[in-house]
Amino acid sequence: MASENSKDVVERFGDRAARWAFIRPKKPEALPIELGRSRIYVLPTSFGLFISGVIAVLLLGALNYNNNPAIFLAFIIAAAAHNSLVHGHLLLSGLSVKTLHAEPVHVGQIMFVRMRFEAKGARDRRGLELVCGDSEEKFDLLAREQIEISLAIPAMQRGWMQTGRMRLSTIRPLGLARAWSWIRPDTHLLVYPALEAQAPALPEAQGEGSQSRMHSQGEHLHQLREYRHGDAKKQIAWKASARGEHLLVREYETQTAKEIQLDWFMLAQLPYEARISRLARWVVNAEQSACRYSLRLPQEFIASGNGLEQRHACLRALALMPHG
Amino acid sequence: MLLQLPGALMAVLSITLALAFFYSKQLPRILRFLLVALLGAAVLTSYNFGIGRDSASAGLLAMLALKPFETHNHRDAKSLLGFSLFAPFAAFLQDQGPLTLGLSMAAFVLSLSAFSALAQSTRLQWRSTLKSASSAALIALPLALVGFWLFPRLSTPLWGLPQNAVSGKGLGDRMEPNEWLDKLADDRVVIRAKFLGATPRRDQMYWRGPVLTHFDGSAWIRDLGARVRERPGLEKETNAIAYEVMLEPTSTTDLLVLDLPTLAPENSRLTYEFTALVQEPINSVQRYQAASSLQPKFIEPLDDVTRIMTLRLPNELNPRTRELAQLWFSENPDPITLANRFNTWIQKDFQYTIDAPLLGRDSADDFLFNTKRGFCQHFSSSFAVFMRSAGIPTRVVTGFVGGRYNQFGKYWMLYGKDAHAWNEIWVGGRGWVRIDPTAAVAPENILDTVEDLQSSENFAESMLSSSFETSDWLRRSWNELILGYNASRQRNLLRPLGFDTDDAKQLTFAFLIGAGIALAFTLMLLLRQRRENLHEVEQAWRVFIKQMRKQHHNKLSHEPASRFAERVAELYRSKTPGSAERFNQLCARYTQWRYENLEFDSGEIKQLVADLRHFRPT
Repeated sequence: MASENSKDVVERFGDRAARWAFIRPKKPEALPIELGRSRIYVLPTSFGLFISGVIAVLLLGALNYNNNPAIFLAFIIAAAAHNSLVHGHLLLSGLSVKTLHAEPVHVGQIMFVRMRFEAKGARDRRGLELVCGDSEEKFDLLAREQIEISLAIPAMQRGWMQTGRMRLSTIRPLGLARAWSWIRPDTHLLVYPALEAQAPALPEAQGEGSQSRMHSQGEHLHQLREYRHGDAKKQIAWKASARGEHLLVREYETQTAKEIQLDWFMLAQLPYEARISRLARWVVNAEQSACRYSLRLPQEFIASGNGLEQRHACLRALALMPHG
Repeated sequence: MLLQLPGALMAVLSITLALAFFYSKQLPRILRFLLVALLGAAVLTSYNFGIGRDSASAGLLAMLALKPFETHNHRDAKSLLGFSLFAPFAAFLQDQGPLTLGLSMAAFVLSLSAFSALAQSTRLQWRSTLKSASSAALIALPLALVGFWLFPRLSTPLWGLPQNAVSGKGLGDRMEPNEWLDKLADDRVVIRAKFLGATPRRDQMYWRGPVLTHFDGSAWIRDLGARVRERPGLEKETNAIAYEVMLEPTSTTDLLVLDLPTLAPENSRLTYEFTALVQEPINSVQRYQAASSLQPKFIEPLDDVTRIMTLRLPNELNPRTRELAQLWFSENPDPITLANRFNTWIQKDFQYTIDAPLLGRDSADDFLFNTKRGFCQHFSSSFAVFMRSAGIPTRVVTGFVGGRYNQFGKYWMLYGKDAHAWNEIWVGGRGWVRIDPTAAVAPENILDTVEDLQSSENFAESMLSSSFETSDWLRRSWNELILGYNASRQRNLLRPLGFDTDDAKQLTFAFLIGAGIALAFTLMLLLRQRRENLHEVEQAWRVFIKQMRKQHHNKLSHEPASRFAERVAELYRSKTPGSAERFNQLCARYTQWRYENLEFDSGEIKQLVADLRHFRPT
């Protein structure tokens, strides 16, 4: 985690300057984002500033004494330092962000934003750093390869979230200068509402049914399916999972007759956001208990259904409720 | 750098460094403080508490050796690295030879590796880091060279030069017959001279240094007033000798010139005594051209001030010399005859030796009538006392004589041991005339080197001497190319290109142009991507795709070759069915080669390559 203290003076200056009008990119942009040379910025690091001071003193001394080897020494250090600026620039130039996506999470959880980077040209790009807010990821990208970086960003608010300004930077090759480019993807990532911690039990089911339902507990094993967020641990088929790459859970067939109606207007006694998080919790619970459920919201009605699609539709509707 | 320190100090510092390397725990504060104090004391005592260039350099080294003891995080490492850049600089203050530069370049590459090691967060791979550091160093060369040749140089230093703790190779401002001259055992080359036109005879090669006028009874001292006086006029010389000199650092302000200079080296001034003076002590190799006259004729008579000064002797000293001088003068007052008579006398009775006995209070009397053994200092000093006693204006001139010819580089080398002292007497109508009493005694000791005396045909010896000449030539070329470069040579370099370098703006402009060119070159090197190791068919395919793009058939990057072939063939079919067929076949063959793993023999591959490269739709 890059805390504010570990950043050097120039880095903080760069962060502050990011808000200036002429710094590119000027507004969020659509993927894929190519890092062209006009949007890469290079400034010396504080160590670079120190070294340039040293070089200046060396050069002045050498010129004063007309000490030719020393002059040469000073110039070759200066030239190497200067070339490292160009080199740093080249390390970033030609990179592109191909994709950016993340599984929706609930407010308060950590969202893993996955970004795919690709490098053009025959240049190995090592020592890249991706920083977004307080989270930081370091990686190497070899020539003509792609890499997927997962960046942990806390989800703070329900609804559409943007990653904001991300910084892709490197201090290679010599650590004297930092080359960086700002990435502002316009991708919107969905954040589900927070789940109420201790919600009362689901409202009573209404109506009768006799469909055969999948359920996590039951008598007859129906199938194995991939693990989904929220599945109970005891459902996991460990033996079966060990054979494959993914975690598998058992699904049982059971007779169910439940159909739950989740109604916004039933919760009139609760404050606005509390209602949303109660409904979100109920949606999750209903899905886990394999009930069919419907959701009524002020502007929307989601008809009765079941399964991941239904769960997502409900949570999405809740997440996108206007902020009260 | 470590090697330039006194032995004891060197040992102490090496031990400290080794300790620092192996002992990675943090020392208690007290212990560190003690170490600093101890090393500081060691440095100071080994330089006898003198604060100067050498002790400062040693101090820097001591601190650098100590620093690893408290280097425990990135920040410490960085500052250590930064300051360690000064170490080669300090080394250059001592010695500017190729070896030092080579070592410092190695240090430079190591520093670059250390920089990049610090910039890496992952596990360090020394081999690749070193490799990339050396390539970075190579790429930095063009820009560094431009900076070196074109960056505006200072023609006068901004601040004073550090004092040398060790004296240079130059001649001093005083000469005392009783004082042993270290110079006479100095095997280092001081002057390398090349004659541009005619070469003078060897016995005329007197390289003029400080002129000593005042005699206090034991020492000859330079007349400082001569520096500010105009020099007397000479008759116009028709066949002056032109030459180029490369002078090693002497720590004095005298440039050595052939006796007698008529044209001063650049940036120097000829004094009243015809010595060439520069402003600042010479601490780097000097390279200059000058011209001299072998038979100078002074136009004006001797002025009274100089006459008085060059006749003055301490009153009651050397009575016997005075007596003899006045006697001989009364017999024949002609200065030249008198000098010759003196020379004939000492030639007969005197002996040249470096191991001369000490002289008493009346040094001339003691030498001429008693010890009769000595070297140039004794001879020139006694001669001057003798001539002055006879009333003939005389002074002592110091410099270098003789030398050795470098066959390989075609120049003359003069060593520290070629240092010499001779005299000048004033002869009415001619001016100052050079008289060398030492040459009268032992011409071979001053004009010839030992090597010439044993001019045997020994093969090994001639090999040895020629390899020596070659190495000296290499050193001279180094001096000429690298060390002798200064503001004035920069001016000469740029003048033919139309830059007036007295104008700071133009000089900056020249530097910027040069830096621009070097930068472009560097950028080219940096941008040069590794050439891909592609099969020849792949390469031909790329040429083919490029050719098709020119025909406005752009292959999309996600499009497979077969789909592209279909699409373009379709386009051709309507216009030129023939080329559509050929095109389709060509693509099919490529696909077979590339994706179907069909066996192609070399002939088929050759054919495919040729077809791909030369496909043109009809």
